[in-house]
Amino acid sequence: MHEPVDANADLLTPPVLSIGGVTKRFGPLTVLDRCSLDVAEGEIVTLLGPSGCGKTTLLRCIAGFWAPDAGTITIDGADTVRVPVNRRPVGVVFQSYALFPHLTVAKNVAYGLRMRGMAKADIAARVARALETVALSDFAGRYPAQLSGGQQQRVAIARVLVLEPRVLLLDEPFNALDAKLRGAMQVDLRQLIKRLGITAIFVTHDQEEALTMSDRIAVMRAGRIEQLAPPEEIFDHPATAYVADFIGSSNFWQSHAEGGRVNLPDGQSAPSHRAGDVTIMVRPHNLAIRPGEDGPLKGAVGFQRNIGALVEYHVATDGGGTVRVMAMRQERGRSIADGTRVTLSILDPNLCAVYEPQ
Amino acid sequence: MTPRRQLADTLAIGAILAVAVVALILLVAPSIVVVIISFDTRAYVSFPPVGFTLDWYAKVFEETALVEAMLNSLQVGITVTGLCILLGVPTALVCVRGRFPGTTALSVFVLVPHMVPGIVLGVAVLFAGALVGVGPSIYLQSLSIAVFVLAVMVRTVMSRLQRLDPALEEASANLGASPFQTLATVTFPLLLPAILAGAVFTFVEGFDNLSVAIFTHGFRDRPLPVELLALVQTTNTPLVAAVSGVQIVLAIVALVIVAATIGLDRVNE
Ligand SMILES: Nc1ncnc2c1ncn2[C@@H]1O[C@H](COP(=O)(O)OP(=O)(O)OP(=O)(O)O)[C@@H](O)[C@H]1O
Ligand SMILES: [Mg+2]
Repeated sequence: MHEPVDANADLLTPPVLSIGGVTKRFGPLTVLDRCSLDVAEGEIVTLLGPSGCGKTTLLRCIAGFWAPDAGTITIDGADTVRVPVNRRPVGVVFQSYALFPHLTVAKNVAYGLRMRGMAKADIAARVARALETVALSDFAGRYPAQLSGGQQQRVAIARVLVLEPRVLLLDEPFNALDAKLRGAMQVDLRQLIKRLGITAIFVTHDQEEALTMSDRIAVMRAGRIEQLAPPEEIFDHPATAYVADFIGSSNFWQSHAEGGRVNLPDGQSAPSHRAGDVTIMVRPHNLAIRPGEDGPLKGAVGFQRNIGALVEYHVATDGGGTVRVMAMRQERGRSIADGTRVTLSILDPNLCAVYEPQ
Repeated sequence: MTPRRQLADTLAIGAILAVAVVALILLVAPSIVVVIISFDTRAYVSFPPVGFTLDWYAKVFEETALVEAMLNSLQVGITVTGLCILLGVPTALVCVRGRFPGTTALSVFVLVPHMVPGIVLGVAVLFAGALVGVGPSIYLQSLSIAVFVLAVMVRTVMSRLQRLDPALEEASANLGASPFQTLATVTFPLLLPAILAGAVFTFVEGFDNLSVAIFTHGFRDRPLPVELLALVQTTNTPLVAAVSGVQIVLAIVALVIVAATIGLDRVNE
């Protein structure tokens, strides 16, 4: 067990949203366990984790649908505990979009302004601008049922953006879309949020989506934030074996560290801040593969597949277990056939991560 | 598919169609017979008719007792529907959204008056009314029928509420609506088709109920079913058929209005 991640102190400006030690229980089940997270002005933070780890629960606490059992949630320095849902400067894009089926697109977008009692003329102007922002001006008179999934999602986004919330919460907004549309919408949505300078929390269990969308990623595990860092850092320096396993693919070995160094399976050694039994992690692209048997880490290619310009080899090592290797695709005729005996070596020992033994 | 399987298949589908046709005939034939009888020139009910006349229809509107009875029943139908909406919609909301113990019991409890025989309920309301000093009247009649059919409204609205995506109301709150605003601008409009479907039933029951009304109606404000009962007990003229003909025409007009304004399928929702 390790202590909950610190709320990240390296923010330059005061955080717009500050979550401190939020805990939420359902009966005997602790769904959120001392979650802390500060989100800076204009930042997009992604909550990433497997199904059931508490992502939606944290969003619902921020939005005010549920009250945390412990901890604080402040927006612009003001505690939100006593602020009811309908007074929080928080906009939610629901997983199901939750568009009002009996209202047209324009009326859906106007809804929040109407509830605030804004003058009709002002509402019309702001709705028109919001629809323009999401490129839906031509659809103002349609009903949600007459829109495609992608268009519905944009209406859901326009509907909250028109209120200029301080914090935007998006719960798996791409879930209902097909894979091809997703990629394009992810880039569009990130650019839109960035252009408008909105502070956002984005929920997903898709790591690629997280890497595309986020300024920082909070990797969650069973109600805790396991690591909170920018995407590159999460990818290159996962703080725990769990994060390493969840983000990108990884190879793990049990090893032993002594005197500040740890032995690697290919005979090299790497610096280690731990001593004794450890788990080391090597990314598939940090491994070199060559035919022949001229090193300590040997095996046979069991499976391979092309991923664009790369080839992923699954090598059954003599020590047992399968190692994944990612290599540039070889020239025609020089690729390594299945069944070939190969030797693996680690390209850069310094990029190997060392964790407590599993 | 083997030819045998194909034959069995065709027969099965044919049988279902045949049953549907029989059901349709059972549904329409009585009304048609009644309408045909209402045009008969003879002064007693018999089938088939021997002539054609509109006299009976003229008589319906000349009989002030009948016209008044129709107007009374219209008023009862409207009052019952109003009462059922006023009582039923909040009850349904509490049954589905209430966060306290007993909501399930309540949702079952509303069925009780509907399961009691109408005559028993009528007698019960009559005595209960007498206890608090309310005698039989058009108001007691409306109230008693409303109690009788409240379950229909509650159940119809409840089933719609249960199928409503809870995220819709959450979205409304998140967009700044107070709980009452959410109710008025999201929940209620989305319940409207269900309320309408319930209203059709409660109105028909209010207009047409005999079992409960026979005990609770005011003796100066006789509703149509009671008046008709008296009529068939004392005479045997096609006048009764003509009254039914008027009712059938009114029902068709009502359906056409519903179809033209809100759409028939929304009643089915
Ligand atoms: N209303 C509730 N009552 C009891 N337990 C709940 C309730 N809502 C959620 N949970 C539990 O809380 C845990 C976290 O749920 P949550 O919806 O936050 O997960 P999630 O990370 O959003 O998962 P997913 O990716 O599947 O959406 C789950 O174990 C779930 O069963
Ligand atoms: Mg979720």
